[in-house]
Amino acid sequence: MNREEKYDIVIVGGGPNGTTAAAYLAKCGMSVCVLEERPEAGGSIENVEVIPGVRIDPHATYMYAGAAPGFDQLELWKYGFRMDWRQEKLDKMLAAMMATGKIHLCLTTEGMAKPTEKDTLNWMKLTGMDPSAPFTRELLRAIYWCPPHPPEVEVTAENIPYMQVYKRHQPDVWTEELLEMTLFELMDEYVESEPVKMLHAMVSWYSGASPEWEGVAIPALGGECLLGYTFSNPPRGGMHDYFHAIIRCAIAHGAVIRTCCPVDEIIISNGRAAGVRLRETAAQGEKTIWADKAVLSGVDVKQTFLKLIGRRHLDASFIQRIKDISLKASSIYVSHFLFKGRPRYRARFALEGTDMIPGQGVYPCDSREIYYEHLADINGRKGPPSMPVEKVMWIDCGSKLEIPDACTIPGHYLISPLYVIVPPPEYLVGGPEAIDKQKAKWDAYMREALGQVLETDNIVAQWSNTPWESEHRNVGLIGGGWYATRHCRDQWAENRPNRLLPELARYRTPIDGLYLCNQSSCHPGGLALMAIPYNLMHILIEDGLVEPGDWWYPSPWYIPQQGKISAKPR
Amino acid sequence: MVIERREIFQEFPGESDWDVVIIGAGPNGLMAGAYLAKAGLRVALVERRYEIGGGLVTEEILFPCYSSNAHVIYHMMVDYMPVLRDFNLDRHALVWIKPNAQTAMVFENGESLVLAQMLEDTKDSIRKHSIRDSIAFGKVMRTWERVVSDIVAPATYVPPASPLDLTLALQRSEIGREMLEITERSPLEIITDTFENERVRTIMLYTSCMWGLDPRETGIGFFVPLLLVRGMNKCYCYGGSHKFAGALAREIVQAGGTILDAAEVTGILTENGRAAGVQTAEGRLLRSKVVVSSLDPKITFLELVGAQNLPEVLKESTEGWKYDKWSFNTLHIVTDEPQRYACDDPWVDESFMTVFGFENTERLLAHWDNVISGRIDLDNFGGHATCESFFDPFLCRMPGKYVSFFQMHAPYDIEGGWEVRGEELKEAMLAKWQRAAPNLKRESIVKSVCETPVDIERRLNMRRGSIKHGDYNPTQLGYFRPNTECSGSRTPIEGLYLCGASMYPGGLVLGGNGYLAANKVAEDLGAAMWWKPTPEMERYVKTYFD
Ligand SMILES: Cc1cc2nc3c(=O)[nH]c(=O)nc-3n(C[C@H](O)[C@H](O)[C@H](O)COP(=O)(O)OP(=O)(O)OC[C@H]3O[C@@H](n4cnc5c(N)ncnc54)[C@H](O)[C@@H]3O)c2cc1C
Ligand SMILES: Cc1cc2nc3c(=O)[nH]c(=O)nc-3n(C[C@H](O)[C@H](O)[C@H](O)COP(=O)(O)OP(=O)(O)OC[C@H]3O[C@@H](n4cnc5c(N)ncnc54)[C@H](O)[C@@H]3O)c2cc1C
Repeated sequence: MNREEKYDIVIVGGGPNGTTAAAYLAKCGMSVCVLEERPEAGGSIENVEVIPGVRIDPHATYMYAGAAPGFDQLELWKYGFRMDWRQEKLDKMLAAMMATGKIHLCLTTEGMAKPTEKDTLNWMKLTGMDPSAPFTRELLRAIYWCPPHPPEVEVTAENIPYMQVYKRHQPDVWTEELLEMTLFELMDEYVESEPVKMLHAMVSWYSGASPEWEGVAIPALGGECLLGYTFSNPPRGGMHDYFHAIIRCAIAHGAVIRTCCPVDEIIISNGRAAGVRLRETAAQGEKTIWADKAVLSGVDVKQTFLKLIGRRHLDASFIQRIKDISLKASSIYVSHFLFKGRPRYRARFALEGTDMIPGQGVYPCDSREIYYEHLADINGRKGPPSMPVEKVMWIDCGSKLEIPDACTIPGHYLISPLYVIVPPPEYLVGGPEAIDKQKAKWDAYMREALGQVLETDNIVAQWSNTPWESEHRNVGLIGGGWYATRHCRDQWAENRPNRLLPELARYRTPIDGLYLCNQSSCHPGGLALMAIPYNLMHILIEDGLVEPGDWWYPSPWYIPQQGKISAKPR
Repeated sequence: MVIERREIFQEFPGESDWDVVIIGAGPNGLMAGAYLAKAGLRVALVERRYEIGGGLVTEEILFPCYSSNAHVIYHMMVDYMPVLRDFNLDRHALVWIKPNAQTAMVFENGESLVLAQMLEDTKDSIRKHSIRDSIAFGKVMRTWERVVSDIVAPATYVPPASPLDLTLALQRSEIGREMLEITERSPLEIITDTFENERVRTIMLYTSCMWGLDPRETGIGFFVPLLLVRGMNKCYCYGGSHKFAGALAREIVQAGGTILDAAEVTGILTENGRAAGVQTAEGRLLRSKVVVSSLDPKITFLELVGAQNLPEVLKESTEGWKYDKWSFNTLHIVTDEPQRYACDDPWVDESFMTVFGFENTERLLAHWDNVISGRIDLDNFGGHATCESFFDPFLCRMPGKYVSFFQMHAPYDIEGGWEVRGEELKEAMLAKWQRAAPNLKRESIVKSVCETPVDIERRLNMRRGSIKHGDYNPTQLGYFRPNTECSGSRTPIEGLYLCGASMYPGGLVLGGNGYLAANKVAEDLGAAMWWKPTPEMERYVKTYFD
């Protein structure tokens, strides 16, 4: 057997970011090899049929990528991509909401909240959803689908892409202060009802940025828009089937994607990334795969530098800064519930005028004090939840209720996933397994938490993954969190992976020929799928590695780095 | 507040045009697709599940962190499948593992038997029980191995000949005549005539009939050499069986084919008596020159084409289609260590498959008789077990853990129903397994889950949990599978072909059904056949049919 092979580009990790990059690069005519450790590629974009007829999403569940240029550039429709639109049901839901004045998502201890007109109109104004002057897609592309500006460019309120969008479409939202604000502050200005603010706050937190973080009001709001943009409809077959379109696009363009191929080392020769060496358990053994042009690391930033490259090639200061990247973000306890018979919501959560089950919701949205207490628990005290169960804040993505093929057992209903944020296992007082050791207890806690809004006596099965388990299921998911590291100002845009690591700011690394392509290391982090590879393309073009065809278009807000080739078509 | 969807992104179209639409992306659909796509045809595979693979399913059913081969694990035809020669699946890091110790059987008193790839190893093990049988085994294998390598294995990839033609053809050679002679006898007769020792008979009977042969049925005897010889040549797919499916899917996509998952076919379109495409549950229409179905004839003809659109003869023979006589009930577990069986031979622990629960043929036959009539006697049952993690580190995501399963034959219509009996049976299986492997302590079981026949039906639409899409009996085998109208891939409905386990050569991952269908479709559509028969196939055709 051939112990060595050579490709233009070698990509470590077949998660969504690595594989999408493979699709882009293969489409540019490069020979590409992706090496994935697990038997199935897809990273956290996976589905599991836990018991026959019940399909759950251990991680990604929603389509956050609606605004991505990739759908068009990679022509995903050709590879079978399609959505599971639930338009009719959503219309019914909207009608019921209009009639009752309640928002089904916004659950308080008193029942469903009723937004005021100002709540709704102003939020639409901020998010570009006002049908008379829509700009959501542009806003999202500006926040996520644009590489950070090059180091020589001073970042100002004038050149930040999303600020440009506001200036153009909603000039009265544009202020210098916007760049300093928290989402709470922005909402205090525009939104009236506290429960509605809490709904947005929670969704934003779960979608990448917290409502109390300084200076990321708009990126925080963007997280919710990503979700709203496709009305939280999932792809047909679940998120993994969206991934199928990506991987098939890559393969159709000639990329080789191998599973059961854990990478043990990124080979550095003369200061350049020259290829990778596989672990001895790899399907074909400890093979070396050379990269003629570049190695892309689609795995987390800590593993990339601390394990795959190692101290030998890096200075101590750099190593320390990598070690210090905080895992605090979104470590998440995920539960999935199977009900025999329809879930029965408590009377105060009924949405009159529809037979629909609410399905999705955030609870309890009463006030931000509850949220702050929750935060203190997780990031302050770093302990297993000490919140009384009535107060623990959760998001129920219960979307599966409206997707019949997610649960095909007659008479059974799936509420899945239910999320509660907990501390990263690495920082947990009591050790990384402190929560896992009492999993039965925490499972019951999750049931009781959900039980605040519905009857739980007809739950017949529950599956859960703790952050510790998530991290093992998928070694890329450091901290067991869903966007790896915080999308706070110190770790966002030009500052990602964090402000102390400027050498990694634009997907490049101190090692020639090594580029980053993972949510933990790259702007814009997790969720906004296809953003990292699209943004990275600009950089690879700048470095003269690829020349895409006519199908390529760069971000309109992109600024080329001096002395490099511009990614704008000539 | 309604956003026009088209503004968001383009999706796979509501209507599309293809040369070939294949229903079901199980091993057979995938293989047919791989050949035809590479032949330059525009191919679409339409699969009901969110994931391709059909029986090639590796799923995290011990959620979270532990995956299992929920269905196919033992690959018996790896040495012969044309698909593994015609495609370079190496490129996708597809690797087969073939342990020497293949099938073990342990008995209550700690005695054991091991069937190994190396003939003398097997004879060593048999000799413990009967010197005569070990000699008999060596002798009979001389014939049986040739029956398999010269005839049955290559014939798997050649369209079925009518019984008369086949009989005439086989008369031509000594080995052919031997095979004809074996065929006349029942598995039970063959085995009791060949071996004297009850333990030896029991393992031989189990190995040759475990896939659904009736031990007392005559006219199917050639399956004994086939399943015994191939049963001693099983391969494991490193990383789980789904990797095989993944490799085939990559070949399809690379050659320009398209795969639609989460797309249940709800109807096969016919126009002027010709198949013209398929309709999916979400309302998409895929028009095509030909439709190839990997589903069983009842689903294909009665449900998807519609009984009213069938020629009377076809309708009748389809209605007469019999599903498998039994299904599987499988207990999957995660433990802290692999099973160590209480027996006299350490090789048992390394065996790919370990059978227990049966002391003699009488007990084994009684168990199978029970199963066929819908019962399981908790005092007399058994099955086979494998510790997958013993061969494959990729299934467990937590260090130091092992996944294993214990699989038994079980009726679809169990007395009392699976919902009621499932838990009781799971307990009984666990107890039985623990008796055979005492280190399997309850405390060491991290997780467990059962996949019942009803579950099999639900996961893959294998009706009544029929793992071969239909019974093996003389009227549903060889040339008669699924019926004379559809023998050899084509059906009486022009443009409609069959490629699944319900056609010749039958169930399991043989690599034949999809291959044969691809040959017919390519021929009928005038596509370039870029592949050639394997040397074994050529030799077989030359010897017997020239
Ligand atoms: C609970 C949860 C919910 C989420 N919900 C959503 C959602 O609703 N919508 C959404 O869009 N996103 C969601 N996400 C986020 C999304 O899943 C991530 O943003 C995305 O998966 C990140 O992709 P990645 O390619 O950067 O990394 P990963 O998905 O982590 O992929 C990295 C890959 O590299 C492999 N790997 C690791 N080490 C090696 C090695 N040494 N050698 C070879 N391969 C290796 C891993 O096995 C993995 O496949 C969620 C995440 C979580 C955890
Ligand atoms: C528990 C179990 C263990 C087994 N173990 C082994 C083993 O170890 N070795 C072995 O060789 N064999 C084994 N088998 C048998 C083997 O799985 C089958 O014989 C084999 O998978 C048949 O392949 P196929 O492609 O014909 O059909 P299938 O594998 O059944 O594939 C058919 C595909 O069609 C899809 N489908 C169904 N209905 C529709 C529809 N309406 N529209 C679109 N798609 C549809 C299904 O989802 C499926 O993917 C086992 C089976 C079971 C159940």
